[in-house]
Amino acid sequence: MVYYLIICRSLTYAQRTAAALERAGITAHILRAPKVVDQAGCSHAVKVSERRLADALLVLGRVGLSPKRIYVMSSDGSYKEVLL
Amino acid sequence: MIYLDSAATTLQKPPSVVRAASYAINHMASPGRGGYGPAMQAAEVVFACRQEAAELFHVEDPEQVILTSNATHGLNIAIKSLVKPGDTVLISSFEHNAVTRPLYALGAQIRVAASPLFQPEAMLEAFAAKLTPEVRCVVCTHVSNVFGYILPLSEIAALCRSREVPLIVDASQSAGCLPVHLKELGAAFIAMPGHKGLYGPQGTGLLLCAGETVPLLEGGTGSRSAEQDMPDFLPDRLEAGTHNVPGAAGLLAGLRFVKAKGLERILEGERSLTLQAARGLSSLPGVTVYAASDPACQAGVLSFRLDGMDCEVAGEALGERDIAVRAGLHCAPLAHKAAGTFETGTIRASFSAFNYPAEAGRLVWEVTRLARRR
Repeated sequence: MVYYLIICRSLTYAQRTAAALERAGITAHILRAPKVVDQAGCSHAVKVSERRLADALLVLGRVGLSPKRIYVMSSDGSYKEVLL
Repeated sequence: MIYLDSAATTLQKPPSVVRAASYAINHMASPGRGGYGPAMQAAEVVFACRQEAAELFHVEDPEQVILTSNATHGLNIAIKSLVKPGDTVLISSFEHNAVTRPLYALGAQIRVAASPLFQPEAMLEAFAAKLTPEVRCVVCTHVSNVFGYILPLSEIAALCRSREVPLIVDASQSAGCLPVHLKELGAAFIAMPGHKGLYGPQGTGLLLCAGETVPLLEGGTGSRSAEQDMPDFLPDRLEAGTHNVPGAAGLLAGLRFVKAKGLERILEGERSLTLQAARGLSSLPGVTVYAASDPACQAGVLSFRLDGMDCEVAGEALGERDIAVRAGLHCAPLAHKAAGTFETGTIRASFSAFNYPAEAGRLVWEVTRLARRR
């Protein structure tokens, strides 16, 4: 299944992001960011499904939590950065 | 025992606090250090604690709520973020050593806005007169830990805003019984303990941040681990090392207790007991009571002394009668100097939401017996 990872600077930021999405009815799951996409070492990500990304970006933009980096997990298991 | 030392720490906690802390000890790991269940459960509790505090103290963003070990820890971060050696810092004459000692250690020029006890207008005038352009920062307590004197904080904050001087608030005795509003005050920092009026476990505190911060400790944060500089974002910047998760879980339950009971109800209850004790003690010959004539200036802390009896001896004697009070200078020599009690010290009774009128009555009765014994 294809999904998106919103990379967050901290766990607390990821929690704020996930809380904002959940309040808007968008399922969001917090996880530690995979090492391959984690440039600074040890960060967290919020996982959303492929079909909810556009809604998620709208919601996050409205509450001032616009993501800086998003990755898509492709069917082969690799991660590609999404240009925002 | 009748516990009347809540200005130091509240001993009686809501059962929910004990349950939450105990559950955390048994089930929660370290937030931000793993993606497994117990770490994520800990992360949820810590975040909920920040959210609850942000709501209660009107902080825009839970990331501005820093978990500290106590108010002293928070005040040290705040002071050391804003004050450099040699800076002039204006403080009230009722500050605790948690404020004056870090300033002294930094080599700050400490300027005191001095005014007599329970005279808020005189306090405001003193601040207005001494807040000159060379003042780099103002530090002010909301409520005196010795006398329960509620300082005119809103007005002092307005003065700081108008003169564009950052304000640090010590809310050690007001958090949990008086409105504390970060946005409205426009303060740079507000520090408070978690273990007093917020009914959390000892070893907890909160620092609300609106200003630029300098870490007091450096270390692991579970973020940006490849870099050697501390993160430039909150709360990680100020929270190096493993969190006190049982403390945060207990504090979350304490915050919810305060919210459910209501600040106004808590203050009214504590104030009513204070005034009851003040009336009773004032009627005794040879007992000097330091209470406000205007109840609006009085929170749930009361100081008194017995003529001809050392305050520590009186405190011990009350302890032997199963009444827990604190005697001496209460880590606030400046406040005692302002009130003229530096040489003698005072006996302090301080109330919480778990005290009753009968307990205030028993204090008066035991002091009556002590006064007769002299």
